[in-house]
Amino acid sequence: MLKEETLKKAQDGDLKSIEDICSLTWETVYRFVYYKVQNRQEAEDITQETYVKALSHLQKNDTQIEQFTGFLKTVALNILRDRWRKRKRRGTSVNIEAISPEETAAEDTAEISAQRELIRKALGSLSEEQRMVVELRILKGYSVTETAKIIDKKETTVRVLQYRALKNLASILKDNNLM
Amino acid sequence: MDKNEKKLSEYIDKLNAEKMPDEHECLPDSPELEELMDTVRKIRSLKEPALPDADYPKKLARVVSAQLSQKSAAGKRKWTWLAGAAAVAAVAVLVFVLNFVLYSGRTDIVYAMEQAYKEVKAYHGILSIVETNLNGEETLQAMREVWADSEGRYYVKELQGFQKGLITVNNGEKKWQVSPAEEQVYIFPSFPDPYKFTLELGNEIKDAKNAEQIKAVGEEMVAGRETSVFEVLPRGGESYKIWIDKETNLPLQKESAMMNAIQYRVTYTSIEFGDNIPGELLAYSLPQGFKEIDKNPELQVGSVEEAAETAGFTPQIPQNVPGGYTRNGMAVTGDMKTVKLSYISQDKKSRVIILQKKATDEFKPASTAVLGKVGGNTAEIQSPVQDSPGVLEGGMYSGMADIRSIRWQESGFEYAVIGDAPMNELISFIESITTGPVEIPPENEETPEKPQIEVPVDLKVEKNEQKSVDAGHSPWKLDPVYVAQVFVSLKISPEGIEGEYPVSYEDMEVVKNNGIEAVVEISGDNTPVRRVYLKRLIRQDSTGIWTVVGYDPV
Repeated sequence: MLKEETLKKAQDGDLKSIEDICSLTWETVYRFVYYKVQNRQEAEDITQETYVKALSHLQKNDTQIEQFTGFLKTVALNILRDRWRKRKRRGTSVNIEAISPEETAAEDTAEISAQRELIRKALGSLSEEQRMVVELRILKGYSVTETAKIIDKKETTVRVLQYRALKNLASILKDNNLM
Repeated sequence: MDKNEKKLSEYIDKLNAEKMPDEHECLPDSPELEELMDTVRKIRSLKEPALPDADYPKKLARVVSAQLSQKSAAGKRKWTWLAGAAAVAAVAVLVFVLNFVLYSGRTDIVYAMEQAYKEVKAYHGILSIVETNLNGEETLQAMREVWADSEGRYYVKELQGFQKGLITVNNGEKKWQVSPAEEQVYIFPSFPDPYKFTLELGNEIKDAKNAEQIKAVGEEMVAGRETSVFEVLPRGGESYKIWIDKETNLPLQKESAMMNAIQYRVTYTSIEFGDNIPGELLAYSLPQGFKEIDKNPELQVGSVEEAAETAGFTPQIPQNVPGGYTRNGMAVTGDMKTVKLSYISQDKKSRVIILQKKATDEFKPASTAVLGKVGGNTAEIQSPVQDSPGVLEGGMYSGMADIRSIRWQESGFEYAVIGDAPMNELISFIESITTGPVEIPPENEETPEKPQIEVPVDLKVEKNEQKSVDAGHSPWKLDPVYVAQVFVSLKISPEGIEGEYPVSYEDMEVVKNNGIEAVVEISGDNTPVRRVYLKRLIRQDSTGIWTVVGYDPV
């Protein structure tokens, strides 16, 4: 548990207290961010930005935070939203925000588990070839060349299969309100 | 292969490498692709995340603590010390804020400084950077050790401050930044170089030379030296002060105007002059355990054949290199599809780069560029470079006051000639690789084109708008396409624009731009206006705002 005193000291910039807070909470924040961005580089950056923003906010406002991890997640989410918004080009109307306030509010473990189950089911509904390509490329992280060797197809075929599989999956996820 | 299939595959590869894909910074072109990328992330969420290195929490705490103490010390600070590559950009912004774009006019003191600097071969100094708030409270932001020479090479080490330990070096062939906190070394091209440490003597004198006004305001002692104080008024920004050492006739201190309740003062607490920068400081070596990060790798090649083999085409090589220049590099860059030829002037003060690659996309000039012709083809002329489309992409050419470029497509290839040399020298380089004529619109020439309907202009309002843009607001007013888009949109919805613009940016094309006057043509059916006529009424350079002066209805 995070002591109130540690938080107070951290707000004053005390390195030891910030270390204590980071070591207790970083993984929750990092996992939360990673879940959204799906790459380590960006997740590390946003996690860092989250702590700076959260602690500066506390410095300025001197607010009592009961659920510090929850607060960190909200800050992280705001940063993510800002980033998504910034990359929206003028004239583009498509909604690319994969996150909504409602989603965050409901984003507990049970919700994520249910979502994962739906994604797994969606994967199961693909053709054997398409499913294999998605598993090898996205879940196991093989390159196109390696995947082509494993399933004994041309690289172009792998890319076509991958594209079609993702189109099918997008359509299923949309039907289930996951997108 | 379908373009989207390829992009999607590259996106997956990037995530598999645990790197941030470009599409997370800039939306992909098609909504369908965006949806598929979102699907990739969803599928990927089934697997366990890649966790950072074991020391991440400690590093995290250190960086957070440093940033917090910096924030609390300075409040809302304009000058931010950022890590790694970001620091380069930050310093470039700072240099821009402090130095601005300056204009001609000279005084005796400028002449004296120029003469004194001619004698300088190299110097070594310690700089202090002090921030002052409205209450006059001073905070030492940084101490910096600098070595610099007259050929533009430098070695800068942060001695104190948030970036303590950070070293930035440009040895004329390569530029790098050593970040001990991250245990990383960032590699950059030697030219162009957006990093110019504040109070670099050569730049300071150049800025004073180009200033609109420079006047003596007093005398003071600085770092135990007698100095004369001058107020310098650059165009397009606030005035600043420089303190010139009476004995050496060289700048010793600089103070920016108070902006957003903060002011910066940069002082040489010590400076000594010598023949050169010690060789070991300019020699590149990767410290043990450090990671080298090169975001835009270049493969140096020794011959045209080697370049052709790597890039997949034989590059045009200037037959008659313009007088006084020699080639000092040939490389293949930009995903190994672009050939880059580098040239340097005899006095080593000007550099020119020729870029060439196979043309892959339709040529679309930057919306803020002046339009000319090379061999009958549209040429994009940027002076200074503001945007980096096509072959300029990834080259860090934009955002520097003295870098200009000319880009065009010809016979299936895209070319760009970039440099800090005068425009006529860049044209000589173009003429050395193309047979067609080069047409650059003459400056200050008004075109005979007149709009069917004139739009009345209030110059007083425009002057205020220009001031507002100079202060960093509404930068879109520097882009004629944006100004035209807002004008046409307000014609469609006079009550105001809500949500998306009724005419899209992509439907607008600059058909004429000589830097002073521009004509933007609007395609599509959803517009009552076919052509918008714009002028730079207040200032006729890249910092001048565009104003609509007329239009042709559909």
